[in-house]
Amino acid sequence: MTKKLLHTTLKYYVSFSLIVMLLAAPLFFFITQLMYLHETDEALMLQKEEFELLYAPELKDKDIAVWNKWNRDIKIEKVQKIISKDTLYSHSYYNNLDKENEPYRVLNSSVTINDKPYQFSARINLVDNEDFIISILMVFTMIILILLVGLFIITKRLSITLWKPFYDTLEQIEKFEIDKSSNPKLTSNSIEEFNRLNLAINKLIEKNTRIYKSQKEFIENAAHELQTPIAIFKGKLETLLQRDDVSEEQFEILGKLNDTTTRLNRLNKNLLLLSKIESKQYNIPEEVLLNEVITNQLDFFKEQALAKNISINTDLETNTFVKTNLFLSEILISNLFLNAINHNCANGSINVALNKNSLLFSNTGLSKSLETAKLFERFSKVNPSSKGNGLGLSIIKKIAENNNWEISYNYQDKLHIFEIRF
Amino acid sequence: MKILIIEDEIEIANSIKSYLKTNDIHCETASTYQTALDKITMYDYDCILVDLMLSDGDGFTVLKELKTLNKSDGIIIISAKETLETKIEGFNLGADDYLTKPFHLSELLVRIQALVRRKKFDGNNKIEFNEIEVDTLAKSVKIGEKKIECTKKEIDLLLFLIGNKNKVLSKSAIAEHLSGDMADMLDNHDFVYAHIKNLKKKLNDAGSNDYIKSVYGIGYKWNND
Repeated sequence: MTKKLLHTTLKYYVSFSLIVMLLAAPLFFFITQLMYLHETDEALMLQKEEFELLYAPELKDKDIAVWNKWNRDIKIEKVQKIISKDTLYSHSYYNNLDKENEPYRVLNSSVTINDKPYQFSARINLVDNEDFIISILMVFTMIILILLVGLFIITKRLSITLWKPFYDTLEQIEKFEIDKSSNPKLTSNSIEEFNRLNLAINKLIEKNTRIYKSQKEFIENAAHELQTPIAIFKGKLETLLQRDDVSEEQFEILGKLNDTTTRLNRLNKNLLLLSKIESKQYNIPEEVLLNEVITNQLDFFKEQALAKNISINTDLETNTFVKTNLFLSEILISNLFLNAINHNCANGSINVALNKNSLLFSNTGLSKSLETAKLFERFSKVNPSSKGNGLGLSIIKKIAENNNWEISYNYQDKLHIFEIRF
Repeated sequence: MKILIIEDEIEIANSIKSYLKTNDIHCETASTYQTALDKITMYDYDCILVDLMLSDGDGFTVLKELKTLNKSDGIIIISAKETLETKIEGFNLGADDYLTKPFHLSELLVRIQALVRRKKFDGNNKIEFNEIEVDTLAKSVKIGEKKIECTKKEIDLLLFLIGNKNKVLSKSAIAEHLSGDMADMLDNHDFVYAHIKNLKKKLNDAGSNDYIKSVYGIGYKWNND
C-alpha cells in the first residue's frame, strides 16, 4: 500500500512526539515529586530551627500541653532520651473533615526545653499523588494535542507551498505521452532539488522524444525505401512467369515466391500505413457516415467470406455519424472485416452491429479466448503459422486511439468480440 | 503502339519493357529528367509512364512540360507515393491514371490498353477476341451473336484476361485487379477461383472455346491455341 509522502513524514513526527511525551510524563512526575519532597523537608527543618530559636527558650513545662492543643502540625512530646538523629518520612493521616487519608511529610527530631529532652514532630500536608498525576497527565495531553495539531497544519501547509512544484511536475509527467506532439513544460522554481528534478526530466523527455521520432522516421523511411526493391522483385517475377521453358516444378516454386512477395508487400504497406496514422497525417476530423462506410465494403467482404463459407450478418443503425477521418474509418472497417474473416473457421459467421455509441464485430473462430495482454501489439500473432502479419489489430487500435475511442476484446459464447466505443 | 517509360530505376523499366514487348508495344526508356524532356519534345507517344521521383528532377515538371507543349499523349503516373494529395496534383496536371508501386505488370498492361482505347477510339469501346466481343461502355459480352449475362466483376476479369492474353497471371495479380488495394491484405485468394469458374462456365455454356487455362500452383492464363 502506498501512502502520500506527507502522511509518511507526519506519521514519523507523530510517533516520535508521542514517544517523547510518554517518556517525559513519568520522568517529569518523579523529578517534580523529588523536588517537592526536598522543598518540604527543607521547610520542616526550617520550622524546627525556628522553633528552637524562637519558641523553645520561652516555653514553660505547663505551656507544652497548650502548645500541643492549639498546634495541629507541630507537636512536642516528652521523652526519656534524646534521639540522636532527625527522621523524615511520608505518612498518611486520616482527616476527619475530608473523611479520607491525606499524605503528610513528617519530621521527628528532638529539642531541649528547660534542659529536658522532648521529641519534636512537625508535619506538612502534601499534595495528593493521584491529583498530582492527573494534573500532569492533563497538562501533557494538552501539549501533545497542541503539538499534533501544529504538526498537521505545518505539514499541510508545506505540502501546499513547499511541495507545489513537485506536484506540478508530477501532473505534467502523468499527462505526457510520447506519441503525442506536446511536450510537458516544466518551469523552474526556487527549490534547488526540484529544479534538478525538472531539468533531469526535461532532458529525459527530450532524449526519448528524439529517439522515438527517429525510430518512427526510420520505420517510415525503411518501408518507403523497400517499395522500389519490392516493385523490381515483383516485376522480375512476373517476367519470369511468362517464359515458355518454365517446368511445372519451377512454377510451383515461383508460385510460392509470388505468395511471399504478396505477403512482403502487405507487411510493408501496413507498416507505411501505421507510420502514416502515427504521423497524424489524417488528423482532420469530419462527420463520417459510418454505416455507409460499412455497407460500401460489405459486398467485397461478403464475397471474400463466401470463399470460406462464412456468413456476414449486419445490424446497422442508419445515420450513424461519427467524428473521424473518412480514410481512417475505411481502413478501420476493412481491417476489422479482414481480421474477422482471416481468423474465422470454415462455415463460421461474422456479426456486425453499429449504433450511435459503439461498433461491435464478433466472429467465430478458435474455440478459446485470445491472449489479451499482447493482442493489440505489433507483430503479436495468435497463430504463428498464419499468413497474417500481426499488424491488423495494431492498426485498428492506432486508429481507435487517434479518435480517442475505446477498444476492447472479449470472448463470449464462442464468439470473439471486438468492441469500439465512440 | 509506342510508349515512353520515364523511370530512374532501370530494372523496373526493363521489366516493364520485356513484359510489354510481346504485346506489340514498343517501349522507350528515359531514366533522367533531361532525357525525358528531350524525348517528349521530339516524339509523340501513345502513352507515357512517369515516375514522380527522378534523380535529377520532379516527375510533375515533366507533366507541366507536356501540358505547355500541348501534347495529348496518355499519361500514367507510376509512383511509390500514394497520398491523396499527390494523386490529385497528378490528375490536375493532366495525368490519366495513377498506379502505386509496387504494381503487377499485368495490371499496368490493361491500364495502358484502356487508356489508349479511350484516347484513340472515341466512343467505340468494343474489344473483340475471336468469337468473343466485349463492350466496355455498355458492359455487355457477346459470344458470336449470343449475348450473355455477366456481372461487372466477370466482365472486368474477362477484360483483364484478354488484355493479358498468352500471359501467366498469378492469382494475386487477378485478385488485385478485381479488388484493388484491398487484395494484398487478404490472406487467401480463393474468391478468384470462384470468379474464374463462373466466367468459364458462362463462356462455355454460350459455346465459346475454353481459353482459360489454369497454371499449376500460380494462377491462370488466357490461351489462344
